[in-house]
Amino acid sequence: MTALIQDYLPIVVFLAVAAAIGLALMAAPFFVAYKAPDAEKLSAYECGFNAFDDARMKFDVRFYLVAILFIIFDLEVAFLFPWAITLGELGTFGFWSMMVFLAVLTIGFIYEWRKGALEWD
Amino acid sequence: MFVIGLQHYLVVGAILFTLGALGIFLNRKNVIIILMSIELILLSVNVNLVAFSAYLNDIVGQVFALLVLTVAAAEAAIGLAILVAYFRNRGSIAVEDINLMKG
Amino acid sequence: MNLTLPALGPALPEIVILVGALALLFLGAWRGEAARPVVDFGAILLLVLAGAIVVLLPGGTLSTFGGSFLLDPFARFLKILALAGAAAALLMSFDFLRAEKLERYEFGILVLTATAGMLVMISSNDLITLYLGVELMSLSLYVMAAIQRDSVRSTEAGLKYFVLGALSSGMLLYGASLVYGFTGTVGFPGIAAAAKAGSLGLVFGLVFLFAGLAFKVSAVPFHMWTPDVYEGAPTPVTAFFAAAPKVAGIAIFVRVAIDAFPNIVPQWQQIVIFLAIASMVLGAFAAIGQRNIKRLMAYSSIGHVGYTLVGLAAGTPAGVAGVLVYMAIYVAMTLGTFACILAMRRNGEAIEEIDELAGLARTQPMVAFLLGALLFSLAGIPPLAGFFAKFYVFLAAIEARLYALAVIGVVASVVGAYYYLRIVKLMYMDEPKAAFEPMARPLGFVLGITGLFVLLFFVYPAPLVAAAQAAAQSLF
Repeated sequence: MTALIQDYLPIVVFLAVAAAIGLALMAAPFFVAYKAPDAEKLSAYECGFNAFDDARMKFDVRFYLVAILFIIFDLEVAFLFPWAITLGELGTFGFWSMMVFLAVLTIGFIYEWRKGALEWD
Repeated sequence: MFVIGLQHYLVVGAILFTLGALGIFLNRKNVIIILMSIELILLSVNVNLVAFSAYLNDIVGQVFALLVLTVAAAEAAIGLAILVAYFRNRGSIAVEDINLMKG
Repeated sequence: MNLTLPALGPALPEIVILVGALALLFLGAWRGEAARPVVDFGAILLLVLAGAIVVLLPGGTLSTFGGSFLLDPFARFLKILALAGAAAALLMSFDFLRAEKLERYEFGILVLTATAGMLVMISSNDLITLYLGVELMSLSLYVMAAIQRDSVRSTEAGLKYFVLGALSSGMLLYGASLVYGFTGTVGFPGIAAAAKAGSLGLVFGLVFLFAGLAFKVSAVPFHMWTPDVYEGAPTPVTAFFAAAPKVAGIAIFVRVAIDAFPNIVPQWQQIVIFLAIASMVLGAFAAIGQRNIKRLMAYSSIGHVGYTLVGLAAGTPAGVAGVLVYMAIYVAMTLGTFACILAMRRNGEAIEEIDELAGLARTQPMVAFLLGALLFSLAGIPPLAGFFAKFYVFLAAIEARLYALAVIGVVASVVGAYYYLRIVKLMYMDEPKAAFEPMARPLGFVLGITGLFVLLFFVYPAPLVAAAQAAAQSLF
């Protein structure tokens, strides 16, 4: 039991240090900073305009599209990590397997580019 | 001596799987929540696979987990894309509104 | 550890299809819609080429990729069937898609990737390859269901299919992880060797695995997506769904049951018996009230999956041979029927109501005759092909002493005959409505071939039955 807990001690220390630093930085302005609020300072600042509408609005569906396209290429790269650290032992066949995989991804990328999925308008 | 063994991981996996399955069937509000539940199911499978892989001292389970991870990304992408197409037509992604065909 | 190139020969059909699909995708991305005729033609050509390669590869059982990929006579039989189903469905789709202004070059490419997934499934010999094939097929099918992007019904069908399909993939995977954990291997031969007696974890894994597979072949009680998806998806997509993926789903069902779990037959047999009975009964009763012909075909396909599983429940070489014969005849009947459904057009609009078929015998006698033959065959009336399909699976069930299962099956097919015969009565007895537009040539071609096959099967059934028996024998 104690041995198990000792294994996790560095994590506890890390959490404690992180929490202490975070709390200190948040608390410091309350004690140190100079405070003189007025209406103009407290209002939302949007390049000189008043805020147009609520911040919790529905946002453009195109953000979803970008996210969708990102997630595919992002996660397929997970295959690159085990490949990269064992490349020395894999030999030619291992190298070219990954090249084929990347070529397939590239064809997908060309398709998405030519389809105009990367254009904002 | 308290040791975290295989069965603890399996219980976590089973709980996550159940939560995901219940999330699909009990959720009445939003299709995005269904997508999250599906991810939860796939991750519970990954917990299982990695736990078994460590327990059996066999690398195949981790290879399987990596494959599941990437396929899950492709699945989520296709799900979101279909959802976006559906939202453009219907103007809603509430689960109750997906009722054009039934019987 | 220096990896060497595994033998690629046994996987050549899959490689040809996938490389071809990528080349066509590249072409399409470069040339835009102008490339569509080339892509359509290329897709058909690739499917035919893959079929030719399956036939021409050296016989016997070939294995590659460290034993995870198997090309045996069983796989050959079903691969040719799946490729034929996919090619025919693709051939039938062109005119319909053009008329509905749905033509996109991506359609042919999606058919190719889905078919490649099916071929991988059929050949898979371990759980990872199985999952890879299932996902490659399913992901393509989700997109195909939603391909009519501006239609609420099509996107709703795609969404429903995606949610339930992803859930089924999750269950399949959860089962696979348990099977892996309790046997220590993912290869089917290894699982068969390790899966001896009643380990509870293994049985749990088996149940989840079978539940996931039952989803993919739409067996009751995992059928709820089928009617909605069949109704909502564009009709050529429905025709494709009804034909090729069923073949692959049944193939992997049989492969997992017979190859991976031959030593715990009683455990999976009761699951398969339950699925078969529930599917046959629901398929027969739920179809009665339907007015939409695509929905009717959905319930019909659920029922036919039930009859097919009767053969698997027997668990004998004769039963598996029955499954293979049934699938071959089912694919022919379904494709022929969908050729008629695709031809139901009036004033440039597709019609899906069953009542609109009234009096077809007077406006289009030849089409009505062939459709009537296909419907009689779906109902299982001798001497048409559908009767022999049912005959072989029920015979196998009786030989395996599953008397109750066979009796329920016969009763269900009698009930099911009612709704098929109602359509025949509509076509021959009722007052004709306005004529449909003349049938497009590819549809007539598919309808003619499948109609003749169904009508004349009893004259010379030996080649198909012998091939199925040889294929089934290779599993045991």
